[in-house]
Amino acid sequence: MEILQFGFMQRALVAATVIAAVAPLVGAFIVQRGQSLIGDGMGHMAFAGVGLAFLVGLNPLVGALALTAVAAVALARLTRVGVGGDLSLALIFYGGIAAGFFFSSRAGGGQNQVLSFLFGSPLNLGWDEVAAVTALAGAVVVIVIALYPQLVALAFDEAAARVAGVPTQGLVLALTVVVALVVVAGMSSIGLLLISAMMVIPVATAAQVTASYRATLLLASAIGAASAVIGLLVAFYANAPTGAAIVLVALGAYCATALTRLLARGLQRAAS
Amino acid sequence: MTAMADPSALEFDQVTFGYGRLPVLREASLRIAEGEFVAVVGPNGSGKTTLMRLGLGLLQPSHGVVRLFGADVSRFRDRWRLGYVPQRASAATSLPVSVAEVVRTGLAGQLRPGRRGTRRHRERLEHVLDLMGLTAVRRQRLSELSGGQQQRALIARALVTGPRLLVLDEPTTGVDAEARAILRESLEHLVTVEGIAVVYVSHDPEGFAGMADRVVEVRAGRLVRVDPQAPAPTSQSV
Repeated sequence: MEILQFGFMQRALVAATVIAAVAPLVGAFIVQRGQSLIGDGMGHMAFAGVGLAFLVGLNPLVGALALTAVAAVALARLTRVGVGGDLSLALIFYGGIAAGFFFSSRAGGGQNQVLSFLFGSPLNLGWDEVAAVTALAGAVVVIVIALYPQLVALAFDEAAARVAGVPTQGLVLALTVVVALVVVAGMSSIGLLLISAMMVIPVATAAQVTASYRATLLLASAIGAASAVIGLLVAFYANAPTGAAIVLVALGAYCATALTRLLARGLQRAAS
Repeated sequence: MTAMADPSALEFDQVTFGYGRLPVLREASLRIAEGEFVAVVGPNGSGKTTLMRLGLGLLQPSHGVVRLFGADVSRFRDRWRLGYVPQRASAATSLPVSVAEVVRTGLAGQLRPGRRGTRRHRERLEHVLDLMGLTAVRRQRLSELSGGQQQRALIARALVTGPRLLVLDEPTTGVDAEARAILRESLEHLVTVEGIAVVYVSHDPEGFAGMADRVVEVRAGRLVRVDPQAPAPTSQSV
């Protein structure tokens, strides 16, 4: 393919595909726990981290990692002291976007660069940034594999998991930190406002056709990766924004699967 | 752990608990021995689920002590000895999960991070799937099973570690007559053959009729003993 001759496309493909394949591995747990919007909350806090990094002259990745880590701990604490999951997430969400806008405004010339993280700009990535994204995604995969039995128990029934001896409080914190890692890893390629969509949409698509949790995770990961590749091609040839194209392709896959199932059911009914 | 010569499977010693200023249980005392079948009854909102959650360590008493196998519940570490069957509503999942996966989650507390189950774990999994008659449907989606089969999957999950105390919360709610009969047969086997202590929390006496050694009623936050054979409750100390 001719577009693979371009170095910027090679880098964009690697970064976007890696993160789009990893995001649903975490998304499956947050969807089952009814926390589909937690990635959005983390995304807004990462926006504040990027703004702060530009303001004080740090690497944006470091700023985003630092503030999302703080948000992960704060979210777990707020929930534990009785601030309901929805409300605690809202506090993080609005605090993040307000702080992000405040810091980026103060950053002056860096404001445009800060805003580029909201919707992603994978075509501008260097190989060093691709390596950092891949390392973060690798860390997420290692954590998910290591804690897989405990995460499934937590996602399916938290009280039963606690009775069975699963350290649920620590595990909830670990899951939130992993969500933060995915958001930070995906901010440059898919964007802070869209990366959480890649945690949720491929999982919702896969769940329509699978019979087990493991199969849902694996299929969702494949759907995520395929959406990234197709989305990048669409963006390249249509001169469209990449992050948006990737998410729209994933959403298209969801709608196509849902429609196919509806049609199949209708045909079954008609035949019987 | 507090060592005791012959500890009960579960013991409530003068336990008081309330949500905020609203008292739910007052100075509740109850001992359940290994191999004993105790039914806990009471109308909705009487505090029987709170009693059960205190017994499992999911809530901490404001006064008094809860002991599991002689150890204070907050310091109890041998979690494999506990089996918990929540109400079937907890089996409602957003995502597909197979029967075998649900049952396997019962082992999650026994595994270290990064480690998979041992051969013994796999044998236990096969054993409880067989015991609950779920082997043929092990790869099916839990949500596609009947209410009775879903209930049996939750019981299999609770039994997969080989527990010595099984706590069931409203196990017959939404379950058909055939599934009730299978559940009854399974519980009789667990108590008489395997010597497991059973705490059966329900508002429906039909589910445990003829099986319970003791029936305890939670009435206005206090425990009263009920003769399992008696038609109407009689107040006695538990």
